[in-house]
Amino acid sequence: MNSDNLISILRFIFLLFLQSFLLNNINFFGFINPNLYLLFIIVYRLDSNPSVLIILGFLLGLLLDLLTQGSGGHTIATLTISFLRPYIAKLSFGINYEMPTAMLHGSFLSQRLLYLSLIIFFHHLILYSLIYFSFDNILTILKNTIFTSFFTFILVFFSMKLFKEKND
Amino acid sequence: MRQLINALLKYKNTLLYLGLLIISLIFLNYRSFYHQSIFSKTALAISSNFNLIKQNISNYWKLAEINKKLLLENEKLKALELIVFNSQSKQKFSLDTFNFEVSTAKIIKNSYNDARNYLIIDKGYNDGIEVEMGVISSDGIVGIVNQVTSDFSSVLSILHRDLKINAGFKKNGAYGSLFWQGSHPQKMKLLDVSTLNQVVVGDTIVTGGMSDYFPYGIPIGRIISFEKPELEGYYDIDIELFSNLTQKEFVYVVNNKKIDQLKQLKNE
Repeated sequence: MNSDNLISILRFIFLLFLQSFLLNNINFFGFINPNLYLLFIIVYRLDSNPSVLIILGFLLGLLLDLLTQGSGGHTIATLTISFLRPYIAKLSFGINYEMPTAMLHGSFLSQRLLYLSLIIFFHHLILYSLIYFSFDNILTILKNTIFTSFFTFILVFFSMKLFKEKND
Repeated sequence: MRQLINALLKYKNTLLYLGLLIISLIFLNYRSFYHQSIFSKTALAISSNFNLIKQNISNYWKLAEINKKLLLENEKLKALELIVFNSQSKQKFSLDTFNFEVSTAKIIKNSYNDARNYLIIDKGYNDGIEVEMGVISSDGIVGIVNQVTSDFSSVLSILHRDLKINAGFKKNGAYGSLFWQGSHPQKMKLLDVSTLNQVVVGDTIVTGGMSDYFPYGIPIGRIISFEKPELEGYYDIDIELFSNLTQKEFVYVVNNKKIDQLKQLKNE
């Protein structure tokens, strides 16, 4: 259990710095910055205390906003998605979603893809709605959400493969 | 009590989420000027609608008193009209040559206890109100419009610590800037008046012609005391306002029709 916590803390710090100093400066096609730090919330143990995840999600977004001079969009989006994660997991994996690391081993690929895409899509939708914060920009919001979600999804998916192989 | 605690435990995640969400919204409001302006505009629209309902109810009970005040004001205006007719009957007296347009508005909310006071009036951009118009009352100046929604506007009161207004002496036109120190709602200070001019207790202070917001010559107040510092070249003057801003009901919004030209000149 202790080594689990240690790995979580290291992962938190590593993803935070990777996101703020490298990934936020990519500007692929001029506007796409994949948000890989969502990986922390996605792979956080499903059987753990949801309150702790909410606080961690809030801290992750807040620190990211402070490091990147953001206005506060990451804080609210990450906080909201940490709060919604149990509901999304229940929807994707069914009733037994609280099994330890159910996501990595005892589930179908389709379930895992649904879980990933729901978390990533809602996070980006909230993030860009907050950043633009106006109905006039709804097309820009949707465009940013869809393209950035797609690239984040690819990055998260392959990173998870890497993590899994290391663990085995 | 036990049920209450149980309910709290059951919804602890939701409560935690809502608490942190409020903190992040405050953070957002503090960090981003754009979000701040949208929040404050929404808040203004909501609060002015509530205040309008409250004001409509309380106004009904004050109708008799308001009537009396309006009659008094009408009397004064009638007298003024007669004077103008008598003295200038041979000259052409036309409103078209006057640079300012006047429209009336009702005060919905009026604060005077804070360091930075503001008012809300029941006219918005649908009625032609724009930002930076001046607001006056029957016996003095009230403030400057700083935010406009479709049906309401908020007005920076002259009882606002960050606002400075150009004002001068009625007798000789010497001018300075008028500002409020934040203590008494009827006392203000006039600074930057050069000691070359003579000052007497009881002199009348009017709006100066250098302000873009107000026409020249609206009476503001009179001098109750002044100091002449030895080393500086400027007076430190205390003024008592003629109007009592704590009991206003109606105001007039004045629009400087030629403010665009003035601004253009100043920018060049």
